[in-house]
Amino acid sequence: MNTHHGSGSAYGEGIAAALADGWRFASLHATTKDEGRMVRTLLSSKDGDLRIESVTAAPDSVPTIVDLCPAAGWDEREAHDLYGVGFDGHEPLRPLIDHDVALEQFATPVQGHDAYQVAVGPIHAGVIESGHFRFHVVGDLILHVDARLFYKHRGLERAAEGLALNDALGVVARSCSGCWASNAVAYAHACEGVLGLAAPPELARSRTILLELERVWNTLNDISAICAGVGLAAGTSRFAALVDDARRLNQRLTGHRFLFGSVAVGGSTLDVDASAISDARETLARIRSESSRAWKALLFNGSFIDRMPDIGIVDAATASTLGTVGTAARAAGVVEDLRTTSPRLAYDDFEVAVLRRQTGDVQARLEQRALELLPCLDILDRLLDGPVRPVASVRAEEGASIGVGRVESPRGATTCIVERDGDRVGRVRLRTGSYANWPAVAHAAAGNLLPDFPLINKSFELCYACVDR
Amino acid sequence: MTSQSASVAVTQIAGGLALSPLLIGVTQQAKARLQGRRGAGPLQPYRELRRLWGKSGVDVEGTTFVYRLAPVIVAAAMGAAILLVPIATGAPRLGVGQDALVLAGLLALSRLAVCIAAWDTSNGFALQGASRDLTLSVFVEAALVLSLAVAALVAGTTDLSGVIAGTAGGHLWTTPALALGGVAFALVIVAETGRQPVDNPDTHLELTMIYEGPVLEYAGRDQAYLQWALAARHWVVLVLAAQVFLPHPVGTWWQLALLPVSLGLLCIALAVTETVLAKMRILLVPRLIGVGAAVALLGIVTWLVETA
Repeated sequence: MNTHHGSGSAYGEGIAAALADGWRFASLHATTKDEGRMVRTLLSSKDGDLRIESVTAAPDSVPTIVDLCPAAGWDEREAHDLYGVGFDGHEPLRPLIDHDVALEQFATPVQGHDAYQVAVGPIHAGVIESGHFRFHVVGDLILHVDARLFYKHRGLERAAEGLALNDALGVVARSCSGCWASNAVAYAHACEGVLGLAAPPELARSRTILLELERVWNTLNDISAICAGVGLAAGTSRFAALVDDARRLNQRLTGHRFLFGSVAVGGSTLDVDASAISDARETLARIRSESSRAWKALLFNGSFIDRMPDIGIVDAATASTLGTVGTAARAAGVVEDLRTTSPRLAYDDFEVAVLRRQTGDVQARLEQRALELLPCLDILDRLLDGPVRPVASVRAEEGASIGVGRVESPRGATTCIVERDGDRVGRVRLRTGSYANWPAVAHAAAGNLLPDFPLINKSFELCYACVDR
Repeated sequence: MTSQSASVAVTQIAGGLALSPLLIGVTQQAKARLQGRRGAGPLQPYRELRRLWGKSGVDVEGTTFVYRLAPVIVAAAMGAAILLVPIATGAPRLGVGQDALVLAGLLALSRLAVCIAAWDTSNGFALQGASRDLTLSVFVEAALVLSLAVAALVAGTTDLSGVIAGTAGGHLWTTPALALGGVAFALVIVAETGRQPVDNPDTHLELTMIYEGPVLEYAGRDQAYLQWALAARHWVVLVLAAQVFLPHPVGTWWQLALLPVSLGLLCIALAVTETVLAKMRILLVPRLIGVGAAVALLGIVTWLVETA
């Protein structure tokens, strides 16, 4: 991994040149060093190479890069709210985490005849996390949505600072239950990068199994949520039952329904004996056949299928611009999956599932999920061929001051950056797939009807907790 | 008043007032079973009503008597509808007549009361629900009036007691017009009871609500009135469906005896459609109901051609 440190204008030029060379934005965060506040931008290439461009805030602002890559919008707003770094040229730099501001400062002004606002949340009628959605509408037509999250920002990144690398894993991965394994593995990879450790095949296998177990229940849960979005109770219950089957399997294999505690830095303590493996294979085979049947029932339900196409569209160009990741991006035709470039994991010869109809609408996102479920079960089938034993990482190279871990979570690319301070965490940044995709939800909603928004939202099925970390 | 008409009147009033929540309960319970859930039992609506009745209502700041009166007006309109819709041919007039068009007026009155109250609160969700409800009502009322017109033509009267008598026996099997009217009325049932694919009675998603939207602000006793009124609305349209558009026998006693069976079957039918159908795109709903109205119109034409 290359790291560059440039002054103000060199930083912007360096990033512009890299983006022109085909590098993509992956993350941006601010950090406090002895010499002052600093902003680091992580870029990635299609082959999985990484480079970091750093710039020192002089005295308290740096050039913005949102004009080069709008995907950095949230990152810069967050850096401003949490570290007080200004971004020259990012206008208006609206608050993201800071809620103690006037309405006009976070809501986009909408003018015109008959336009009015509908405010939803942060307290919802269902079991939903806290998020405020301000719809600017004319009649039932959505003109624009301002989403305001971070109601339960817990400061987990700050809480992890100063902890030993392995102890901080519990704090960082607590960001979200639904993505526990993804966040934990991304963090572990970042730490192992810092420590110069490599993953032996057994460790890669153990972690890949956990990641795919997480993907199985999340994918089923996403499909169930889409059914709930159109009030199709039969589909909702059927897939929800499968979700619980998958979570119970997690419980039997790792002692926790959401896989808590199954990942560690520098090795794995996961111990699954032969009988548990055969139980897992049986359960997954049942989930495979039952989910296929349930999926067919959905396909043959005209009233359900009729709701899916042509709403909530995020096309390929928009997805690239906004930095959309995961199934949402692949459904739009941006064929990217970190599982193709994960040498630390056991995704041998992984091929991205490519949808025939890449329209980026609700139907495409639904079908992309269904399409990815079977390869995911295939991977588990291949890896669950014998007992899983505890294993330790091996020292491969000199340690580094900064480590990066990137993992394809059920919601898309999750990036974790760890800066060390001796043998402790100096700064950790977790940028999850949900964090990357929320701007796309707001974009997808515009131009659609208000009663379709719950369905559009559920077709992304993003975490709030992954953002409010 | 003969003993027969007296017992019909007693059944009608007691059934409409007290048994109508059971229709919702049976539907919900059947739905739960169909969806693999245990369900709360068919008596759950009564528990809900008891709970709500025990709580005080809440006034939204800045609202007027319009908001305060709406639940009572809705409940009174549905109470009158219960008196109006006879459950069998021998039903006596209970002071409000038995004219089919008055029923359409009462349903419109209860809808209007709720929608004006939504305006009074100026709650965004309530207004949105009200505007959707009023838009749909244009089509629902057309389908309702036209399907009742088919039955009225067949029976030769708009008096509902006469309509029940005129459509009794083997009429349904020999009168295609009545079957067409029945199809239109089936869509009216779905729309008037706020069920899928038109609306989702179980949703918590405010953005998608139609009938639940305008009443979001009501709580406690006001909510009890509204929930009872919704149950009464189920009673009125399902009784009409059972005694006009479903096969029903000629004799009053037979009609009374078979009514619970027909109502039970209709509740199960509602549960089945609500389980297997997703909610429609909102802009397609007027088209669906409009098709219902057109089918009823076809029924009228069929009848006119047949009798010409």
